[in-house]
Amino acid sequence: MKVRAIALNTFAGFLRNKLIVLFLAVFVGILLLFLTPLLAMKAMSGPAAAQMESPVLTLVGALMTMISGFGSLLAAWSAADTVADEMKSGTILAVMARPVRRWEFLLGKYLGVQLLMAVYVLFMFGFSYLLTWIGGERIQTTPWVLIAYPLVRYAIYSAISMFLVTMMHPVMAFGLVLVTSILTFMVSPGARPPAFLPGPLRAIVYTLLPSTELLSESRFLTITQTSLEKITWDVHAITLSYGLDYALVCFLLAVWSFRRRSLSRD
Amino acid sequence: MPAAAIEFQNVTKVYRRMFREEQVTALSCVSFEAGAGEVCAFLGPNGAGKTTSIGLLMGFHFADSGEIRVLGCTPGDVRAKEKIGFLPENFAFYKYLTAPKLLRFHLALAGNRSAEAAARIPELLAKVRLAGYEEMKIGKYSRGMVQRLGLAQAFLGDPQLLILDEPTSGLDPAGRKEILELLLALKAQGKTVFLSSHILPEVEQICDRIVIIDRGRLLRAGRLQEMLSTGDRVELVADRITEEIEQAAAACGAVVERGPHGVRIVLDAARKREMAEALWNGGCDVVSINPVKSSLEEVFLKVVEHGEGGA
Repeated sequence: MKVRAIALNTFAGFLRNKLIVLFLAVFVGILLLFLTPLLAMKAMSGPAAAQMESPVLTLVGALMTMISGFGSLLAAWSAADTVADEMKSGTILAVMARPVRRWEFLLGKYLGVQLLMAVYVLFMFGFSYLLTWIGGERIQTTPWVLIAYPLVRYAIYSAISMFLVTMMHPVMAFGLVLVTSILTFMVSPGARPPAFLPGPLRAIVYTLLPSTELLSESRFLTITQTSLEKITWDVHAITLSYGLDYALVCFLLAVWSFRRRSLSRD
Repeated sequence: MPAAAIEFQNVTKVYRRMFREEQVTALSCVSFEAGAGEVCAFLGPNGAGKTTSIGLLMGFHFADSGEIRVLGCTPGDVRAKEKIGFLPENFAFYKYLTAPKLLRFHLALAGNRSAEAAARIPELLAKVRLAGYEEMKIGKYSRGMVQRLGLAQAFLGDPQLLILDEPTSGLDPAGRKEILELLLALKAQGKTVFLSSHILPEVEQICDRIVIIDRGRLLRAGRLQEMLSTGDRVELVADRITEEIEQAAAACGAVVERGPHGVRIVLDAARKREMAEALWNGGCDVVSINPVKSSLEEVFLKVVEHGEGGA
């Protein structure tokens, strides 16, 4: 009941967070701008339309990657901001004066972030279908994959961010999550250039950092049937379990770090 | 003293800056107790360590050494927090909520699902003069309204112990009077109240026990009545006074005030007989002789100025 109350209040706070609303508004604006060429393409017919098919698919892919990437930033920022803002404003004092344990408070905050990200993923899901429909194509992937994978990835980013914000300023925590995500791409086996770090060190860093490449829904977000990657249920289960386990470890680290944290305003 | 609701035993708290040598001792070996059913005032100048002490008491910070017990539990223990109503200094709320929603949120945090508790919310809001503002967002409240809402949330769930950091801060005189009356009613119900305040005349009206700290050190702790009766000054009231006696009184450090009902002479207790005899011999009539009780403000200023120690 306590955790639920904190989670719902956190979510309600996000919907009134001017910074988050502003970011979302700018983002939606950019998306609408990108929609223009797609709609123009939709209006074409005959050979001109066939000629435009490839650039449209590229544009749709880029937009989807952008939406997905923005979700990671949103997850990291909202997790860092929600805890830090409670401490900065002092609202945490009244909450923690109630019979609420520190881990319950953190779990409520974390679930509030996941609620926000669930809404975002549903929006992302709907928008992906809309884009491909406008582009005259159809997404071939099973819908649940497009929901579960980004949710797990965002759960990881928000957990890392929450852990870091128990020790440092939210901007610094957000920056570190950003660096982590860039580093993850740079040390992944398919990265360019491949020799970013010496082999063994690169392997260690790759093992330690969350493999967001593995958890990327773009692996499955295929529009054409020919490139659809066939993955069995057990592989999905193992991949998602890996992601959830990573998020859980980060969240437990946050709980451990927060248990002796001073709840002062600075 | 009744069983202690709050116990501080040699509590020390030092704030350290990360990666810096700099450190500030907020509390140094502070020990005091507040009994169950008492109203205990926690006094000190700004920066004395009051809010830090309250933060330690609530489990918001952790002491470097010493022991703290609240209702027999360690600070932050949910069993104790179930029985505590708390008002922090400069209370901050979720501005997008309304007062009833905030109180319902706090009931949920307390794990209280009873319809009876929820039904008491309008009554509680009326008690702190917030009836009629139920639809208004807290962000639009004035400073005084926020403070009254803070008190309402502290009173929520009928707590056994109230810890109030500056409860009358931001309130107008009428609001302060109402809060004092509420605190007196709680005292009559046998609740324990631990409060910090700078408005000493008000504190004096309601408190049983006083704890004074400054710069992290305990200066004085004890019962209010014992602190106020200093015993070294007396007030002597005469129907009139001659100029000669007045000069002699002033020479030995007495304070002479003329009023409509006679002359009030305040002097050292050791000189009261000498002064009374001088007045009688001078043909004046002595109406009364009483020991002078200091006000809490006088005691506080004296203790803080002299940096007096001891409980």
